[in-house]
Amino acid sequence: MVYQSLLSAPFFDPTASYSTEAFRYILSNPDFHRAFGTSFLISLGMTSIAVPLGSLLGFLVVRTDLPGRRWLEPWLLVPVFLSPIVVAFGYVVAAGPVGFFSLWSRSLLGVVPWNLYSVGGLILIAGMTHVPHVFLYVSSALRSLDPAVEEAARVTGAGPWRIAFTVSLPLVWPSILFSISLVFLLGFELFGLPLVLGDPAGLLVLTTYLYKLTNLLGVPSYQLMAVVALSIVVITFPLVYLQQRLLGTAARYAVIRGKGQAFRPLPLGELRWPMLALVLLWLLGVVVLPLAGVALRSVVRYWGEGVSLTEVLTLDHFRRLVGYPNLVRGIINTLLIGGLGGALAVAAYAAIALSSHRWQSPVVSLTDYLVLVPRALPGLVVGLAFFWVFLFFKPLSPLRSTLVSLWLAYTVVWLAYGIKLISAALLQVAPELEEAARVTGASQGLIYRDVTLPLIRFGLLGSWLLIFMMFVREYSTGVYLLGPGTEVIGSLIVSLWGTGALDLIAALSVVEVAIVGLALFFALRLGVRLDA
Amino acid sequence: MPELVVENIQKRLGQTAVLRGVSFHLNQGEILALLGPSGSGKTTLLRSVAGLERPDAGRIELGGKVIFDAASQFEVPAERRGLGLVFQSYAIWPHRTVYENVAYGLRLRQVEEKEMRRRVGEVLEQLGLKEMASRYPHQLSGGQQQRVALARALVYSPPVLLLDEPLSNLDAKLREEARAWLRELIKQTKSSALYVTHDQIEALAIADRILLLEDGQIQQEGTPEQIYAQPANRFVAEFMGSNNRLEGKLTEIQGGQGRLEGNGWSLWGQLRVPKKQADDATALIHVEQVRVVEGPGRNHLRMQLRSAFYLGERWEYLFAAGDLKLRAWGQEPLPQRDSWLFVPAERLWIF
Repeated sequence: MVYQSLLSAPFFDPTASYSTEAFRYILSNPDFHRAFGTSFLISLGMTSIAVPLGSLLGFLVVRTDLPGRRWLEPWLLVPVFLSPIVVAFGYVVAAGPVGFFSLWSRSLLGVVPWNLYSVGGLILIAGMTHVPHVFLYVSSALRSLDPAVEEAARVTGAGPWRIAFTVSLPLVWPSILFSISLVFLLGFELFGLPLVLGDPAGLLVLTTYLYKLTNLLGVPSYQLMAVVALSIVVITFPLVYLQQRLLGTAARYAVIRGKGQAFRPLPLGELRWPMLALVLLWLLGVVVLPLAGVALRSVVRYWGEGVSLTEVLTLDHFRRLVGYPNLVRGIINTLLIGGLGGALAVAAYAAIALSSHRWQSPVVSLTDYLVLVPRALPGLVVGLAFFWVFLFFKPLSPLRSTLVSLWLAYTVVWLAYGIKLISAALLQVAPELEEAARVTGASQGLIYRDVTLPLIRFGLLGSWLLIFMMFVREYSTGVYLLGPGTEVIGSLIVSLWGTGALDLIAALSVVEVAIVGLALFFALRLGVRLDA
Repeated sequence: MPELVVENIQKRLGQTAVLRGVSFHLNQGEILALLGPSGSGKTTLLRSVAGLERPDAGRIELGGKVIFDAASQFEVPAERRGLGLVFQSYAIWPHRTVYENVAYGLRLRQVEEKEMRRRVGEVLEQLGLKEMASRYPHQLSGGQQQRVALARALVYSPPVLLLDEPLSNLDAKLREEARAWLRELIKQTKSSALYVTHDQIEALAIADRILLLEDGQIQQEGTPEQIYAQPANRFVAEFMGSNNRLEGKLTEIQGGQGRLEGNGWSLWGQLRVPKKQADDATALIHVEQVRVVEGPGRNHLRMQLRSAFYLGERWEYLFAAGDLKLRAWGQEPLPQRDSWLFVPAERLWIF
């Protein structure tokens, strides 16, 4: 990609020569500057919303007597498993200018007090939907914190809020810092939300700028795409490096822990129910509202001002869905790539995790670092890179229009996440259990086959379910690899969005949410930890 | 012919030296205890023998064959050493039944199915686990789990059995019974055993020979009686048993004995290290050696009873005279008045 960015034409063009023309063009393009500025603004804005809310949520759930906190916890992580493009679409049909709720609001209040298609709206939605990411890190850090430090503050006379701001949250500061860098990074990788919500107002961010570049110029200008992709990488790489450093400090902090004794949650007093209402309101906003919008839109014929809901109810969209072979294939492919592909990916992740497990050498720590690199690349960029690889690396090109290409790209994009899942499971296996097998006479391979893998098989099953959901909800990676035979629901929605086929998008979205919902249901029933 | 020979094992962990050159041998059929406080390096030593740690220097021979030699970078991996190891946490595989846990070592050695069933059955029978064969570890009590761990290590008759604090997770009552039972079992199976423990009573009861470790070095090696009654240095004397400690000045030296004098008292004791007249010295005597007697005499002290505790099988008294304090044990309650105490000179060790 670096090579391509320095050429004047596509790299397969014989007339291509080295030049900085592409850089000059992009760097002087006002659209690029605007997109960069918007991306930066959105990242900053969503970080300032998601981090305080997520940290507060973490404290409430882990440390206080918030009503129903045990029951509530898995639901707080649901937004992570929803496809942003579905959520964005949900907001459009629920709260867009002619959305269900906007119209109801107009008929009740006379005005629509919000404007979805603005940087402000985008920041608000992006910020709200990224609260779980912060919650994940802050809550796990809080859990490993010795409650005695809070009890000491309580005995001294501090109330729950004072404890939160002077004791608990400062002590998990490394995790909060990590969340800040993570959310900021994710801000640059946003694709679904700005694609759908920024479009009507002509808002572009770096990823959507990259996506639209082909259409803007009329010809596929690979060198320009390479430059934009590189600019995203240049921004995200230092952030990932920073994260690695922070994660190290966070781990060291976590050592301060007691004996895991039971502790009494801090009483919130009168604030218990208002706080619960706040949490439920947030869940309503980020889960119920968009999903209700999508579900409603998928069963109405059309929608606009003055339309009565009962007159337009229909199941036609789903019936029409079956009529398009590529859409049906998309659904089957999605299930295939999630189920079979997910299982293969888990096997690959397990192989990598095992090879570095309890086997410390410089080579291993280097691979440890390298596998985290794709994390710095938005799915869109990885998809593009794979598209080029399959297009021009001759031995591989026959595979381009098969699911293999898609599976490879997905597996690479989710590599870091998958390795983390498996490593977490491996950490549960006490080293003595393996050593006992070794002393008994088992070789390394036999130890893995007879002891380690059987012991983590539940962890592997959980990982598979989580990877399944991630693969089903993935959309940006497949955009460039989309072709006959490689359709998946996510990418189909992205390309349908360009054609404005709202009916089909709604129906497809419902199918995707249903699949993820089912997997989520099984995962929760099996007791899989969503925050692994 | 020693079964296991360990020569000059050294091991550093970062900046700290865990083992500073330890050598010992283990004879066929013998039980050798590695005794020492936590952090003395005893577990590291055991894990080095097992092949789970790699020492920085030294040499280990098993049954006449070198299994580790730092000088020539030679190392037989743990799984090829054929040893048996019982972990402190037992580490029985939770996903296998008792039978499968025990049979695993035989399966790896490609023992025929019928023979395997016979041998596993035999070991389970011997350890009183016959009825538990099809149970899973979580369905067993702590004592039963401990025996499964032992059965797993014994079933393939390893030349040396390594035990890492195998009794420390049992409750006190069970532990006492297990001591006698474990020693009998090891002797019965004619195994040689290396036994790590921090509990001196356990080491005294189980071992034929004790290796007392401190700070990565051997402080003393000997039979339980030698370690307890003839300590080589002050550390060993203080570590073993319950001690009275007296500080004073040497005022007279005669042969191997010296007279230690403090504020208002003087006692004769055995010089365990070379000392000169007028040197400051510390004397140690086991609490059970101090006796309450009638009237004065050589090495008798008149002291006041400060307090007494009833401990069930005995009384413990605390006596004081000036700044001197002595503890003693007896069988009956004592009146709250001055008593005479006898401190036998041959058991009062001066360092």
